[in-house]
Amino acid sequence: MEGPANTLAYMIAGYAIIFTVLAVYLVSLVVRWRNLRQDEETLREIEKKR
Amino acid sequence: MDAKPRWLSVLDVVTALMLTAATIMVFFYAPMEAVMGPVQKVFYYHVAHAWVGMLSFIVAGIAGIAYLRTKNIKWDIVGLATVELGMVFMLVGIVTGSIWARPIWNTWWTWDPRLTTTTIMELIYAAYLMLRQGIEDPERRARFGAVYAILGVVSVPLTFFSIRIFRTIHPVVIGGGDPGADGSFDMTPKMLQTFLFSLLAFTVLYADLMWHRIRLGRLAERVEQLKLRLSQ
Amino acid sequence: MSATTHTVNEPRALPRYLSALWAVIWKDLAAEWRSREMLSAMLVFALLVILIFNFALELDALARQTVTSGVLWVTFAFAGTLGLNRSMAVEKDRGCLDGLLLAPVDRSVIYFGKALSNLVFMLAVAAIVLPVYSILYNTNLFRPGLLLVVLLGSVGYVAVGTLLASMAIQARTRDILLPILLFPVVIPLLVAAVKASTGFLQALPIEDIRPWLNLLVVYDVIFIAAAFMVFDFVVEE
Repeated sequence: MEGPANTLAYMIAGYAIIFTVLAVYLVSLVVRWRNLRQDEETLREIEKKR
Repeated sequence: MDAKPRWLSVLDVVTALMLTAATIMVFFYAPMEAVMGPVQKVFYYHVAHAWVGMLSFIVAGIAGIAYLRTKNIKWDIVGLATVELGMVFMLVGIVTGSIWARPIWNTWWTWDPRLTTTTIMELIYAAYLMLRQGIEDPERRARFGAVYAILGVVSVPLTFFSIRIFRTIHPVVIGGGDPGADGSFDMTPKMLQTFLFSLLAFTVLYADLMWHRIRLGRLAERVEQLKLRLSQ
Repeated sequence: MSATTHTVNEPRALPRYLSALWAVIWKDLAAEWRSREMLSAMLVFALLVILIFNFALELDALARQTVTSGVLWVTFAFAGTLGLNRSMAVEKDRGCLDGLLLAPVDRSVIYFGKALSNLVFMLAVAAIVLPVYSILYNTNLFRPGLLLVVLLGSVGYVAVGTLLASMAIQARTRDILLPILLFPVVIPLLVAAVKASTGFLQALPIEDIRPWLNLLVVYDVIFIAAAFMVFDFVVEE
């Protein structure tokens, strides 16, 4: 019996993708939230001035 | 309206814990598969991602119907959130599936019904987003998005079915792998537990991310309303 | 469901519905007959696609057996997209849609009218493409089974396509958007149409072809019903 195939590289690639994508998505949520909050503040300022 | 609800913070913590637990189970609890080796462990999260991709799809259809009936913009926000999430998860599902397939079947791709259908679902997700992008009026955007989501969801079972018949009549082996085999292996009880727990953890992750994305969507809607008001 | 369903229950509603339907169809057919822009564009396009396939694929006698249906349906799908786009764009640009909306008739008449005139155009293209292909490649495409598949496939294609085209032309990215929306959703139809066409061309036993014909009919029924239910939401202003 030769034992399981050496597919370690593929496993690492797979999990790297999984965690990277998750991290990138979370970052995108945070960045978009911040941008929108800033937009909201700016727009409310403008509205007050009218 | 802006303060982060306490329950969301709780859910965040629960999600993080479950994901950590699932990852530990995958790497330290589930045994190594005898033939495929380490790459088999990709399977747990691969299926979990595909599962969330499909769940999102169904939620998109439901949100579409709900919007058309109630005309309440919150359903449009839900629809957009679930399509965005679904697209991301499904993509990871497809890619990890490909990574798993490569060493097992010696091919990066096979046109089997499940893989082909999930790719088509991904394209429907993308089409939905492109449709929205081209429409500026928020109400029309929501309406059209809802309509397309419904049509998309209705078409997918038919697509799967048609490719299934296609494959059973023509078991053509394209790419070297036997399309009948789904890389199946016998799951020991520990593997099964890890598998089921991964599905559960990712469902919780989906709920958590949906909540966050819906909050983001509500904020975006407020900003858009402000812009529209000020431009009049 | 629809606010105008009360009109359907009146005693003389059906003839009025049908005459409105005919009016919509006739308007399109007459307009197109006068200018023939769309039809000629679809036709030229279809013939060009066949030409390109001739060079892209080595269509020797043997390969042609298996590939003819695919070439035909790709041609129909792309030419169909042109026709759908044009047909709906004309409405929007000339403001015809608004006029139709004011008519005292159930909204669905617009959908069915447009869909039927689109169907006529698609079948007109098929009526030319089939003989041309038969001549160019010396294969007889005029088998009744194949013609049935062309009809069923066109019906389904036009049912979904009309609806999606109505949405697509209202978006900024109108021309490119229709194929993007349409093709993923129309795949079961294309798969079934190609397999059924091949079946008839190769004179396979009817039991082999039956599942594909069934799928075509199921697709048509489901999507005509879905489009009918949802069309109101696409044209409301």
